[in-house]
Amino acid sequence: MADLKLDQIRKSYGAVDVLHGVDLDVKDGEFVVFVGPSGCGKSTLLRIIAGLEDITGGDLMIDGDIVNTKSPRDRGIAMVFQSYALYPHMSVYKNMAFGLKLAKTNKAELDERVRNAAKILQLDALLDRRPAELSGGQRQRVAIGRAIVRQPKVFLFDEPLSNLDAALRVQTRIEIAKLHQKLKSTIIYVTHDQIEAMTLADKIVVLNAGNVEQVGSPMELYHHPKTRFVAGFIGSPAMNFTRVTITAVEPGRVTVQTPGGKSAVLPFEVTTDHIGTEVELGIRPEHMGLDRAGELGVDGEVEVVEKLGDSVYLYVRLANGDRVTLRAPGHCRIKIGEAVSARADAAAAHLFDRNGQAFAKLDCPEEYSAME
Amino acid sequence: MAHSTRPMTDWRKAKLPVFAFLAPATIIYTVFMIYPLLDSIRLSFYTSVSGGDLTFVGLDNYRTILGDPGWSATFWNAFWNNMKFFAVHMLVQNPIGIALAAVLSLPQLKLRNTYRTLIFMPTMLSVVVVGFIWQLILSPVWGVGPEILDIFGLKSLFGPWLGKEGSALITLALISVWQWVGIPMMLIYAALLAIPEDLVDAAVVDGASHFEVFLHIKLPLVLPTIAMVSILTFVSNFNAFDLIYSVKGALAGPNFSTDIMGTLFYRTFFGYQLQLGSPTLGATVASLMFIIILVGVLFYLFVVQRRLSRYQL
Repeated sequence: MADLKLDQIRKSYGAVDVLHGVDLDVKDGEFVVFVGPSGCGKSTLLRIIAGLEDITGGDLMIDGDIVNTKSPRDRGIAMVFQSYALYPHMSVYKNMAFGLKLAKTNKAELDERVRNAAKILQLDALLDRRPAELSGGQRQRVAIGRAIVRQPKVFLFDEPLSNLDAALRVQTRIEIAKLHQKLKSTIIYVTHDQIEAMTLADKIVVLNAGNVEQVGSPMELYHHPKTRFVAGFIGSPAMNFTRVTITAVEPGRVTVQTPGGKSAVLPFEVTTDHIGTEVELGIRPEHMGLDRAGELGVDGEVEVVEKLGDSVYLYVRLANGDRVTLRAPGHCRIKIGEAVSARADAAAAHLFDRNGQAFAKLDCPEEYSAME
Repeated sequence: MAHSTRPMTDWRKAKLPVFAFLAPATIIYTVFMIYPLLDSIRLSFYTSVSGGDLTFVGLDNYRTILGDPGWSATFWNAFWNNMKFFAVHMLVQNPIGIALAAVLSLPQLKLRNTYRTLIFMPTMLSVVVVGFIWQLILSPVWGVGPEILDIFGLKSLFGPWLGKEGSALITLALISVWQWVGIPMMLIYAALLAIPEDLVDAAVVDGASHFEVFLHIKLPLVLPTIAMVSILTFVSNFNAFDLIYSVKGALAGPNFSTDIMGTLFYRTFFGYQLQLGSPTLGATVASLMFIIILVGVLFYLFVVQRRLSRYQL
């Protein structure tokens, strides 16, 4: 177990820059999740930490040592691959023992460590099987077992759940969370699934086009996204956005005009030079309601209704052509084509400038700012 | 279930197109492969008497080849020479082919396609041309061999390798290796490419060096291909003829030291210089070659291949 520090990590393939200077501190025992859309560089970053890709610029430190040029075997890391990458010609036991055997670990210790890992992951009965004789979930556990036996300083997971079916994915997600509690090890986990990120992480790193957009706890990212990208990426269904114009600014108060022509006062700290500019207003679907009170309101016609049982998502088309998603309780009987009017608290709003940076929000009630 | 809605295959209707599609291959294969093979086996049970008539003699021809002191010495000489020829291919051609394939599959390698093409090129040359070129290169009188060795100061090592009884067969085998090494290289290279990169990455993270990755991961996964390459080598070696004939002629000199099954068959069937040709004895040699190859292939199919599992990658 160890802490990890990334200092201005850059990566280019020829003339193409993939990572533009990533800074990150990972503390000992922390569960960090890299999340972002495909092509954002999250897997590349993980492979750089693993030592499978060279670093173009910057420093990577594990436990205080710069490991830029060290081979994977000298970094004290273990990795779980999306495809599991189990050696098909070896039994489960040999798969798990391979790393230790290469490190010339003595037989008794090797056997003890493999059996111990097998016990933790309930693989005892499968040790003599080949990977081809295992189910997807079992293979996944062997891949994790192979990482555990090496007792690495840092565990790396590269989208480990993507190849599992939905039910198994939820189950394995919980297993991984339990495993982290048990091993208390440093884990770096890459996923494109924001639910995995939210449920597993102590700290989420949102990456976009080779840049870190925001680093923070899941609740911090949910309630206080620093950029429009993070706001749109975290949360499902995605946050609603609409363009508004700033008409007046007071300390801690900003007045905006919505496309419908209505005015609303929102609790944001905005400088006066923004008066007259267009900014983006975001509200999460779950913070909008048909029977709510609130300063912000929209009227429109329901285009699509998604019934999830406990709740209903309404996809509403506004008079100006914008589309808005809102969440209604499960007993809601609204049908396609009906006119609805939804409201939201001003405190639930997020405001982003032209460059996608969030304005600071003031006096926020608990409902919209709960943090661990 | 009085009326099943499932469509049933009507075999009486289906028969005609099935046979129509199978017929061309079956006919051509029968006429050009099965019939000549069976007929030459039949011929090996006859002997020609005066006037060219054939008389059935049972296994007499086999007794002659394997039992007559003169014939059996020649036959076993050719058989063991052929085994040596095969051994050189197995010990030199295939390991080099595997090594070249391993190097070609290294991700850092530049000019990969150039190397691949250059190494594969000789397989496209005529065996006669290759034999002739090497004969010229290795000629002690006007060959470039000694001069090339001289560049490295190794001229003293040069000898008339093709002319000495002790080295002629090995030299010819190595010429053949030089020509054909591209085939195992290509087959194994293709098998190596099919190994997922994640598997190699996983082994590297597990602490394996390039060589250890090859030894513990890649090699076991290409073993079925190596076995297949080996049996192809065996079959082509025991059918070999052209290289020896083009370099050494049908007498496979010096003193039959390069005589293999193919050249023995040629002399027996067609005759050469003072030896009269005998189609029936020739057919016997051909049948024996067929049996040797059959035993080898059956060994591969029933012993080797059954023990090797192909892994789902």
